[in-house]
Amino acid sequence: MLSRSWRHFYRRYSQSVTFRTTENSPSQHNENQTGLFYTMDKDLCKTLFSHGGFPRSFAKQTKTFTEAAVMVRRPALDVIDCIKASDLNKPAVRYLLYGENGTGKSLTMAHLLHYAFENGYLIIHVPWVSEWLRRLPRHKEMSNSATHEGMVDVPLDAAAWLFHFKTQNQAMLKSEELKISKDYVWSKRETTPAGAPLLALVEHGISRVKYACDVIDAIVKEVKLLSDSKVCKTFVAIDGFNCFFYPKTRLYTSTKRTVKPEEVTLTHSFLELTKNDWTNGVIVLTADQLAIPEDHAESFLPKYLLYKKGFEHIDPFVPIPVGRYTEKEFLSCASYYRDRLWLRGPAEIDTELKLASAANPYKFMELCAPL
Amino acid sequence: MSVFIKHYKASHLLSASNVKFFRFSSTAADLPLKKEDDDEEFRVLDIVKKRQRQQRRLNKRTDIQPDRSDRMAIDQKWGNVWPGPKTFHPSSVPLPLRQGYVPKGQAPPGKKANAELMKIPNFLHLTPPVVKTQCEALKQFCTPWPELLNSEEAIEKHYPVEIISSNYCHASPSIRNPLSRVVSLRVKLSDLKLDKHARDKFLRIIGDRYDETTGLVTITADRCPAKKQNYDYVNYLLTACYFESFNVEDWEGEKTEDDMEYYDFDRNTSRKNLINWYLKSKNEVKSMSEEEYRDFDISQIDHAEVYKNAVSKIMNDGESDDTLRSYDEAVRKLLGLPQKAASS
Amino acid sequence: MNTLIPLSKNIVPVVANFSKPRWELISRHYARPTSFPDFFKNPVFRKEDQAPLVESGELATLAKAPYKPPGVSETSSAYYDPLVNKVINHVMEMGKKKLARSLVEKAFENIKRKQIERYHLASSDAEKAKIELDPKVVLHKAIENSKPLLQLTPVKRGGITYQVPGPITENRSEFLAIKWLLEATNDKERTIHFPEQFAWELLDAANNTGKVVKRKQDIHRQCEANRAYAHYRWQ
Repeated sequence: MLSRSWRHFYRRYSQSVTFRTTENSPSQHNENQTGLFYTMDKDLCKTLFSHGGFPRSFAKQTKTFTEAAVMVRRPALDVIDCIKASDLNKPAVRYLLYGENGTGKSLTMAHLLHYAFENGYLIIHVPWVSEWLRRLPRHKEMSNSATHEGMVDVPLDAAAWLFHFKTQNQAMLKSEELKISKDYVWSKRETTPAGAPLLALVEHGISRVKYACDVIDAIVKEVKLLSDSKVCKTFVAIDGFNCFFYPKTRLYTSTKRTVKPEEVTLTHSFLELTKNDWTNGVIVLTADQLAIPEDHAESFLPKYLLYKKGFEHIDPFVPIPVGRYTEKEFLSCASYYRDRLWLRGPAEIDTELKLASAANPYKFMELCAPL
Repeated sequence: MSVFIKHYKASHLLSASNVKFFRFSSTAADLPLKKEDDDEEFRVLDIVKKRQRQQRRLNKRTDIQPDRSDRMAIDQKWGNVWPGPKTFHPSSVPLPLRQGYVPKGQAPPGKKANAELMKIPNFLHLTPPVVKTQCEALKQFCTPWPELLNSEEAIEKHYPVEIISSNYCHASPSIRNPLSRVVSLRVKLSDLKLDKHARDKFLRIIGDRYDETTGLVTITADRCPAKKQNYDYVNYLLTACYFESFNVEDWEGEKTEDDMEYYDFDRNTSRKNLINWYLKSKNEVKSMSEEEYRDFDISQIDHAEVYKNAVSKIMNDGESDDTLRSYDEAVRKLLGLPQKAASS
Repeated sequence: MNTLIPLSKNIVPVVANFSKPRWELISRHYARPTSFPDFFKNPVFRKEDQAPLVESGELATLAKAPYKPPGVSETSSAYYDPLVNKVINHVMEMGKKKLARSLVEKAFENIKRKQIERYHLASSDAEKAKIELDPKVVLHKAIENSKPLLQLTPVKRGGITYQVPGPITENRSEFLAIKWLLEATNDKERTIHFPEQFAWELLDAANNTGKVVKRKQDIHRQCEANRAYAHYRWQ
């Protein structure tokens, strides 16, 4: 009882506890900044996350709070330390973020993307795999793949992703250092010659949507070669990676047959990319319960979500658990919300909210909404 | 009007001497009848024939002997009185038994002419002294308990097979309880000498009769009507399963990785991944065939043992915080990454 | 013959009370019929209500009497507001409390976002101070602004029905305010969702503009116009 009242006393005075850090560069983040929020530049956000990367609810919050502030947490620092300590001449290391719903896997990935962008990596970022395999607007455009027999293309999604890729890596692509190694013949009149910049491939894919999936295939191969030959270092980030290994997708062919993920060309491209047979790269993946239907999402542990096939695909990988808020992090988040005028009320509300949300970051944000 | 009062004693005949009657007022003005009182009784006209019926009712036997149970000595040998199983006979049992349901307040019916006591099988022929004499009589046919079988471990070692059966006391038109035919055979799996393949096959054959936590195989039989038959059947089942598990079928060689009940690192893709990674990290990429993968000695790779154990643990023991943590440590050691900083 | 025999140690013997009419004795705190007898008292579940009882020592004696249990939404939480609960109940249809609560909470979220947006757009500190950011305060203000002060009762005299202005109780006034707000909200476009429209209505009402306040002002105007008939209440 005494300690509780002491803490209560302390909290009253530490309502204005520091929750911000002025250190806005992820490469400089270390243990001192755990639990503190750092702000991301607006232009940076636009470059990196204009077509995904932030969860939808977080994007709404950035509008209300007029800034994008991400908390520096231990999982992200762990990965950054490992990247700094790893030898890039060795095959690419794979990191898998896993955790309960709403604990901050996607935002950790956003933090890491910022780090990668700062350190000049070529970023290949898939914001949400289920968008391709499980989102079905009234009419999903699919076509049978021309190059791969019996496989299905999703041209519009592929083109959208190419645009996203281009926006993220504008600087690097414009500098024209990245050149293709061989000719790509699309049709009788369209070829992309060897030695052309990667940007040309990307633009071709955006303009000729029909070839977008094949362009992605080509890009993957080229990037692997470029990384191996030390022209550039690559950072691969895929959110919802376990969706590639779920037995079904929600796509169906014209004969109403359900398409399996292995039959989609994009799956193959990105599975190729996440193999560890290339050097000079970092691969960060997430295993998310929300990526697959609820009936089959009983556990958030990696082997259950990835199925044996996925586990063996990325074995050996470094599993990084992303957990709920600690005491300090919760306090910091509550202070931040008060600062941004999102939460108001007496200090007793904090204990109530901590219990009601179980210190789960997303639930906490949801509970603060009507208050 | 006259009031005629009769006094009766329950078991005695109605005698004229017991009849008294009073006259409150007489109908006749004079009293010439006073004389008659002294001489004889007033003869009542019995239209309904009540007196005859009353007389008929009380024809009781007076020559009944007292109960044998009342005359029994306290120190008699009960085994001589009730030598074998017999329906309950109240006069032979010197106990004041009461049996039966009655509404609240009433005493249960006594033992005389009590159908319930007669219905149920009684074990008055098996009182402890009688049992003792019977055991003494049987002792001459028995051998003594072996001295060295003095502990549970000794018994389990020499007699690993346990037969479990039940006998029942059954109250119904038949004395046989159908459940008494059930026979169970229990044996520890470790007591059966099985090699690796035989053990796997044995477990698959017996299915869920094996309890993993205790390591016991329990085979139950109830398909035959007699206990002896079920006992023979249970023994037959154990023998058959044991010998069948040593037979190797032709098609058993076609077992794939998906059918395996445990995870073997050396037969799986994780091993290949490890080898490929190792070769790639040394820049010696080459495509190898299945045999070469199998023959490759992974002990030359640093920390390969730890990694192998960690992967096997995740696959065999299931995922949990512990197994994932050990896997995490093993992979970091293997790939040369710093260990996770301990959280404060 | 008026004392009831106590059924257990904890029940205080109750004397049938004929001093007040029965409807004043029965607790009207709950709108629903409860499965507890009328002599059960209403629960005291707020810390601020319990504190004075603890201090004066009455709690021990009062606790011996039978009390009804509090309802599910009657908590001792810092976020408890009886008006918010009332509004949620009015929004609820078919007993779907979860849905009603989520709608009202989303409406609050919308109010908050809009107000925060306005706050950030406001240039001077004076303007910023005027903007109310707490959605519950906005709700209170909105209801206060839409409460009518008089009501019209139809009275028939000589074949003509006159609308006679008369007083209105607090409860009825509050009820009408909430009802009008919800009617205005449900009068919405098909594509606009309830929380959004409700947020707009609340913000308008809090600002003394909008349909609901207009309706209240219409009533007031009519009352003013018909004040000549006010004496019909007592004929």
